[in-house]
Amino acid sequence: MRERVLKIRKLTSTTILTITGLCALWGIFWLFFIIFDLIRHGIASINLSFFLEVPTPPGEPGGGLKHAFIGHLLITLGAISLGIPLGILAGTFLAEYGRNYRLSNVISFLADTMVSVPAILIGAFVYAIMVKPLGHFSGWAGSVALAIIMFPVVIRSTEHMLKLVPWTMREAAFALGAPYYKVILQVLYPAIKTGLLTGALLAIAREIGEAAPLLFTSFNNNFLSYNMNGPMASLTVTIFVYAMGPYDYWHTQAWAAAFVIALTILVLNFIARIILKGGKH
Amino acid sequence: MNLELEVKNLSFYYAGCSEPSLKNINFPIYKNKVTALIGPSGCGKTTLLRCFNRMHDLYPGNRYEGEILFRGRNILAPDVDLIELRTKIGMVFQKPTPFPMSIFDNVAYGLRLRGIKNKKELAERVEKALREAALWDEVKDKLKESGLSLSGGQQQRLCIARAIAVEPEVLLFDEPTSALDPISTAKIEDLIVQLKEKITIVIVTHNMQQAARISDFTAFMYLGELVEFGPTEKIFTNPEKKLTEDYITGRFG
Amino acid sequence: MDLGLGISKKWDYFVDKFFLFLTFLGAILVPLSLIGILIVFLKEASLAIQKFGFVSFIFSSEWDPVFEKFGGAVPLTGTIIVAFIALILGVPIALGIAIFVSEVCPNFLKEVIRLAVDLLAAIPSIIYGLWGLFTLAPIHARYIEPFLQKVFTPIPLLGKLFEGTPLGIDLFTAGIVLSIMVIPFTASIAIESFYLVPRVLKESAYGMGATKWEVIKDVMFPYCRIGIFGGIGLSLGRALGETMAVAFVLGNINNFPTSLLTPTTTVTVKLANEFTEADKDIHLSALFYLALLLYIMSLFIIASSKYLIMRVRGK
Repeated sequence: MRERVLKIRKLTSTTILTITGLCALWGIFWLFFIIFDLIRHGIASINLSFFLEVPTPPGEPGGGLKHAFIGHLLITLGAISLGIPLGILAGTFLAEYGRNYRLSNVISFLADTMVSVPAILIGAFVYAIMVKPLGHFSGWAGSVALAIIMFPVVIRSTEHMLKLVPWTMREAAFALGAPYYKVILQVLYPAIKTGLLTGALLAIAREIGEAAPLLFTSFNNNFLSYNMNGPMASLTVTIFVYAMGPYDYWHTQAWAAAFVIALTILVLNFIARIILKGGKH
Repeated sequence: MNLELEVKNLSFYYAGCSEPSLKNINFPIYKNKVTALIGPSGCGKTTLLRCFNRMHDLYPGNRYEGEILFRGRNILAPDVDLIELRTKIGMVFQKPTPFPMSIFDNVAYGLRLRGIKNKKELAERVEKALREAALWDEVKDKLKESGLSLSGGQQQRLCIARAIAVEPEVLLFDEPTSALDPISTAKIEDLIVQLKEKITIVIVTHNMQQAARISDFTAFMYLGELVEFGPTEKIFTNPEKKLTEDYITGRFG
Repeated sequence: MDLGLGISKKWDYFVDKFFLFLTFLGAILVPLSLIGILIVFLKEASLAIQKFGFVSFIFSSEWDPVFEKFGGAVPLTGTIIVAFIALILGVPIALGIAIFVSEVCPNFLKEVIRLAVDLLAAIPSIIYGLWGLFTLAPIHARYIEPFLQKVFTPIPLLGKLFEGTPLGIDLFTAGIVLSIMVIPFTASIAIESFYLVPRVLKESAYGMGATKWEVIKDVMFPYCRIGIFGGIGLSLGRALGETMAVAFVLGNINNFPTSLLTPTTTVTVKLANEFTEADKDIHLSALFYLALLLYIMSLFIIASSKYLIMRVRGK
């Protein structure tokens, strides 16, 4: 009897663990499926004109997404210049000046929560505070929305990196008579610069793929525009519009744009990983 | 023998504690001498050391009672400029903490804080400090390299060079060799003995032999109180208190 | 008091205070934004709140821009149903992967699978959506869904789940796509939680002759329960708020789903499709009302999940 029970228990264990292996296979299967499809459709549609030309009138095959590339670049630059410095400053407060106060723990928790707020709601928020009062869509609104998304991510990584620096390093600087801001700017920031860079790269990699927050802020623009005060095209919104649209050539261009975005994210992640490994000597 | 610092009725409370961690301490620190603070773990020697440059002020809620006189003025007074204080009373920590910059910049850091920008002057003073720290020969060809590229013992000497570059009057050492190998330890002990010609030294150590080797005066502490203070030779060969004798002979701690 | 030593450092103190102020401003932006979003949504939704109230808005399934009658029942239920389908399909797989990676697979595979999980997580949702629309939906429409229909229709209850025309743009496809998105997230948190189980605990169980599965079931899971619940909660929060992955394949039809194979809508999909087209104030206000409800729901779920995870990590 005990023999039999033991056999059943062993069998159960092996079976279930095999199932877990199947789960892993399931996950890897989808990963390869999606990536394969992405490459298959994406590469087919990529040629030089894709990057260098502006779109043709709807219905006429051809043209490119130059306007979307430029628009997306401008919006991203705006978001980076807003979100990253603010995030670093806030993270510095939480880890340094404010480290002894309970308020900092609360804010840290809230920042952590803010990371997961649905992106589309942030778009709606920026719509209400920027687009509606001003009466028009703008690239700036898009930048603000993306900045709000990046902001808590940068805070968390900055705070985390600062807390990793041992206390004695700060004390050594204080003991030389340095005021706190110099300790932060001249000793701490250099000490964590690889971590900060990695954190920034990863934050950028995340927001590059965002479409929802741009839908009602920077909206879309079928023409090449450098004017951040008006609606701007972005790669992600273009994918949304083109994919749901009726034309085949729009569909292929959407795949190509998706491919470029995925590649960029991959490269950014890769660079971040290398920097992280290199920084640890 | 001149008096550099004088501790008078010093008590110290950590934030939120009703019991003092230092109880009514009184003793002198003599100029250009090495004074060692010894005692078992938790006796308060590091706490006492950190009163001299008011490191405790970094953490809100800590409280001092009594006085520490530095040239006749109480440095524990609330209106003392801490940045000024720390230019005159420096500190070397237990763990070497080179800043993330080049060797040169590390040593020059304190000088730059004081507004010294002249390249020639900086180079001269950095070299002087590195020589006094017995590190110059080993690093003179690689001043631009990161401070982190040095060995543990070298890093600690770098930190010492950094501290003495600003020419403090007093230098506080908090167990400077406990994280180092014996050879580096010996080098740093020699260094300390040489430094005292110009600087007054206070050193916390849990290594009694070290205290006996390099200090001129010794203060033995136990549970936050100063049990005995006197010339090192006397403390180690003919202590007055039994408690001191028990510690010295290894009966506890 | 001047120690009579020379240099005065007034400038440094001033700059220090200024920098402190700057960093504080940055930090205070966090609670300010969260509260700001709430207030702005309340204000924008006030028109709709006044007109439709709370209970009737939640239970009404009418969404008529022409006659200005709005009710959020369909998108709200859609949001919850899609999220739950995603969790039901995704969480067990994620847990399976987590168990496989931490307990079963040989060391050299661990890094590979973790890399795969990280990659899945890094793919932006718009690519999931695109792929769902162009690749998965047609496959579903042509092969999978008819097949499932054939299999399940005879069965009384389950058969109902697969009624309708298999077009591919429906709850089923959206649920599958979302479930794949949920997998890497939940798996990472689960792997981390398993990692926290003290070795001695596992060893004592093995020492008593337990099989691997029994150790996982009786020792590890109970130990990590809270953390894993937190992880599932976070995935739920994400699934509720997902837009792009779902917008391409759900259809945005304001009808309750009668089976898995019908199109419907969620709050996020409705917002994505109608926000810029709403030309009447009341329409926009109704959309903001939905946004408000989603915001409160998400915040609550995310905050409580993070709290659970925080407890486990002992921060």
